[in-house]
Amino acid sequence: MQTSFDRENVDVAWCPGCGNFGILKLVKEVLEELHQEKRQTVIVSGIGQAAKTPYYIDTHMYGVLHGRALPVATAIKAANPGLTVIAEGGDGDMYGEGGNHFLHTLRRNPDIVHIVHNNMVYGLTKGQASPTSQRGFVSKVQVEGAKNEPFNPLSVALSLKAGFVSRVNIGNYSHAKEVLKAAFLHKGYALVDIFQPCVVFNQVNTYQWFKENTYLLEEGCDSSNFEEALKKAYESMPMPLGILYQRREELPTFEMHVRGEDHRPLHEVRHDHKKIQELFEKY
Amino acid sequence: MTIDELKAYDGRNGAKAYVAYKNNIYDVTESPLWKEGEHEGVHFAGEDLTAQLAGAPHGDEVFKGFAIVDKLETPSSLSQTETQTEADLKSKLRSWYKRYHPHPMTVHFPIALHLFAAAMDLLFLFNPQEAYALSVFYTFFAATLMGLVAMVPGILSWWINYDFSSYRPFIIKLVLSLLVLLLGIINIALYLNDQMIVYHDSFAGLTYHAIVLFTGFSVIVLGYYGGKITWGNGSKPVNSGEKHQANAAAQALHSMAKESAQIPVNDQHVFSLLIGGPAGSGIDTIEKILTHALKASGYYVYSTKEYMSRVRGGSNTTLIRISDRPINAPVWEVDLSIALDESALEHMRERYTEKTLVLADVSENGTLPNLITVPIRERAKALGDRRYANTYMAGFIFGVLELELDTLLASIDHYFKEDNENIKAAQEGFKEGAAVEHYTLQELPGSDPKSVEALHLMDGTTACGFGFLAGGCTMVTSYPMSPSTGVLNFMAERSKEFTIVVEQSEDEIASLNMVLGGWYAGARAMTTTSGGGFALMTEALSLSGMTETPAVIYLAQRPGPATGLPTRSEQGDLNMAIYSAHGPFERIILAPGTLEVSIECGYLAFELADRYQVPVILLSDQYLADSMSMIDTVDFSQYEPGSYIIQSKKEYQRYTDVPDGISPRSVPGLGEGLVCAAGDEHDEAGQITESHQTRIEMVHKRARKREALLQSALMPNIEGNGDIAVIGWGSSYGAISEALARVDDPRLCHVHFEWVHPLAEKQLDLLKKYKHTVVVENNASGMFADQLKLHDIKVDKKILQYNGFAFFADQLAQMIKEKIKEL
Repeated sequence: MQTSFDRENVDVAWCPGCGNFGILKLVKEVLEELHQEKRQTVIVSGIGQAAKTPYYIDTHMYGVLHGRALPVATAIKAANPGLTVIAEGGDGDMYGEGGNHFLHTLRRNPDIVHIVHNNMVYGLTKGQASPTSQRGFVSKVQVEGAKNEPFNPLSVALSLKAGFVSRVNIGNYSHAKEVLKAAFLHKGYALVDIFQPCVVFNQVNTYQWFKENTYLLEEGCDSSNFEEALKKAYESMPMPLGILYQRREELPTFEMHVRGEDHRPLHEVRHDHKKIQELFEKY
Repeated sequence: MTIDELKAYDGRNGAKAYVAYKNNIYDVTESPLWKEGEHEGVHFAGEDLTAQLAGAPHGDEVFKGFAIVDKLETPSSLSQTETQTEADLKSKLRSWYKRYHPHPMTVHFPIALHLFAAAMDLLFLFNPQEAYALSVFYTFFAATLMGLVAMVPGILSWWINYDFSSYRPFIIKLVLSLLVLLLGIINIALYLNDQMIVYHDSFAGLTYHAIVLFTGFSVIVLGYYGGKITWGNGSKPVNSGEKHQANAAAQALHSMAKESAQIPVNDQHVFSLLIGGPAGSGIDTIEKILTHALKASGYYVYSTKEYMSRVRGGSNTTLIRISDRPINAPVWEVDLSIALDESALEHMRERYTEKTLVLADVSENGTLPNLITVPIRERAKALGDRRYANTYMAGFIFGVLELELDTLLASIDHYFKEDNENIKAAQEGFKEGAAVEHYTLQELPGSDPKSVEALHLMDGTTACGFGFLAGGCTMVTSYPMSPSTGVLNFMAERSKEFTIVVEQSEDEIASLNMVLGGWYAGARAMTTTSGGGFALMTEALSLSGMTETPAVIYLAQRPGPATGLPTRSEQGDLNMAIYSAHGPFERIILAPGTLEVSIECGYLAFELADRYQVPVILLSDQYLADSMSMIDTVDFSQYEPGSYIIQSKKEYQRYTDVPDGISPRSVPGLGEGLVCAAGDEHDEAGQITESHQTRIEMVHKRARKREALLQSALMPNIEGNGDIAVIGWGSSYGAISEALARVDDPRLCHVHFEWVHPLAEKQLDLLKKYKHTVVVENNASGMFADQLKLHDIKVDKKILQYNGFAFFADQLAQMIKEKIKEL
């Protein structure tokens, strides 16, 4: 399907068969179907194969440093609350290098969509374990297999009371689309962790593996039940797919805290020098 | 010299230009404002200006920059008394004159009447009718009469306002108006003798008409010279008050263009007071109350503090200095000291001289001869609460110094609203302090309530905060770290009134990344930090460089490495500020040394960042942040933030390769285009590229910004005319300035940098003319001296201090004396 978000004349840097192609298509189609205005959309990404995605989508974009997309996206949303802001990157980028920012973005609750391509491996640096790699995953560095407890983004997000926590598998495209749409429509921070295979460096977690080790949450199951969601977040083999948790009542967002009802883009804000003068005269 | 001898120094024909003020004779020869011995066309060299200053648009601070060459002698005590009476009368008349200004009020009449008479006479000459002849005479008569009426207050004004100045316009006016008066009387006599002369071309008739026409012309000349006296020669620089949005930064830079000034004169009378006690004992409260009350007492006040990295206990001190003139530096040795406990006494002991009066809450006198035991804590407890120790001690100090109790009580009331207990404690302290017998106490300087009242007392933190407000800051994201946190607090406190997004970030990495997100989306964002935090920001600093996203970083230094001395001062992060972050890119580093410059630099940081799309680092330090001094009112309307963001067109490219390297910057949602910024090497559209040609083009494009931004470089501030340059930068300004005044050596001059990176050709050329250079720095290796050497500037000597203290003016003076012996 052609969308108004297709960017022409770009040289896509991914390997043939990469799961990122599916996610690129997914994001563009969701934006299109939600009638999103591209001049009001900003995608911020860090570094990694996944973080190249915004270079291939025709919107505003800011390609930042490894792990730093979330603080940048949070500030953009505060500077101009009228924009739709997406932070996108891989598991190493968002959960490893940017782990601290992930924790504190959850606490801040900015109204952004957080898309994480989770392939359980480092692609750009050629095959090392990522924070989400399963125990035993062998690489040139983890020669005896990964020993550390895999990072569980869902339970971490839930423990900090994130308002929208979800996981999808790009192998199940229509389901992924449905969940991503819901994430965009959610007011407040929304996490969409997307399972995706790396066809070059991860021979373990393949399309087939993700298919076999995941299951879809039942339709109509109550996604507002926090305790249930927390339980499901810890399930493994198979791991649940879908919206684990979506809070019913809206909580104030970061930009509401720092901007109140004032939604002007900050470039329109000018301080009145008379007020500065008055303040100065008090000293 | 006497007033008569002074007259020879009128500044004309190559003579020196001296002026007297309050019995001091100042040399104003070099001042551009006193060319040919004239100031604004109304004041003249060779005169005593004491009385004239009251009518000037400025106070006596203008004399501060000039060297005193002699004292003005008065011939005898008798004539002094006479002069005094005359001065009193004059000053009374002056205030009367100011209220009723009789000369400007009456002078219109003769002018208008004489002109009218002349016009009527011309009519008559064309058409000789009786009606015209009559109106000529009556108007002329009235004009002559009113001329006399206007002359009397004119001469009075010449005396009381201008001291019978012999300035040419006065003489011309006097001679001409006397002539007009004389001719007027002659004409009236001629006419009354024979009214028919107007119709005849006899001698009398021709004289009559000639006089009427001549006086008509004369009043025009009189009016012209009257205007000249009031308005001067029109050579005064005109403040147009215009604002050029796009050139706001350039304009502000222009206003900072430095004029060569003199090293301050070392006759300043300063009194220094040092208070020491454990953290949490309320020294801060004493400082607040005392500085407020001392300012209200009419003193120029300065204060600074040094404290340990703990919330309770230890020994901290606050130094307060008062003077009859502006003051901006700490000293090591003090005149009066208050020790709130024994360890404070030990802590401060090395700063005492044989003259220092010490008031200490200690059990024994020990070995100090001038120590008076004051049981501060005991007295406070007796007054009801140990917290009253602060107000009790403030009262005690006021008592010892024989200052006005009411002024202190007003200050206490200002901080503790209607708190009778604190008032009582202060009264009690005052009574006891006044009763203390002391023989060694240094005399207090004179006070100047009128000048001081208009000034503002604040610390460097507050001044920087005002600068950032003026710079239009709309976002502050910081992780707290001493000594930078004060600015974060200042901005947070004003955030709701001024629409500023303030967020305490999880770490300094997030701080600067948020700042970049803010600027990318249109905010004017900044972060505040110290060395350790800045180290964490270096990666994002590099992102600012690559994506050409502006950023403002307030970096308040403290001694490192690592945690170092967290609450103390050093100028040790200059190298880090210049070199940190990977890859080459342009940045600007500003380092203010006074409150005025702190405000200016705070504003400029935002302007320069926005204009050149580079990170701007404002380097402060604990000393500057925590030291209070006085600042004149600043006109904030001159600090209009410029507009540098453009509305994008559909084909907009963020990194268009333009000649000056500064690609027009737009923000998301403003216009038809898309804003694509990339931390990877990119093409003009912001797309990742590995093309080696594009890489070269982009490296060159970013590097070209240096040439553009160097044009904004601020010239160093220069005081003195010597050929040995004592070079400093940033917060050491006040200490070097006072130290050089103390050294009082005409071979020296003070060159002070506020724009410390990148150094511009015009700054460096200026240094090349000096025979010797001595660089003064608050760090161990001489980082700025190294920068100068890199730019082929010879550095002869370095004076370095890295003990955790900023320079003390008295110690620095000694160091400079020693160092120049080695030259």
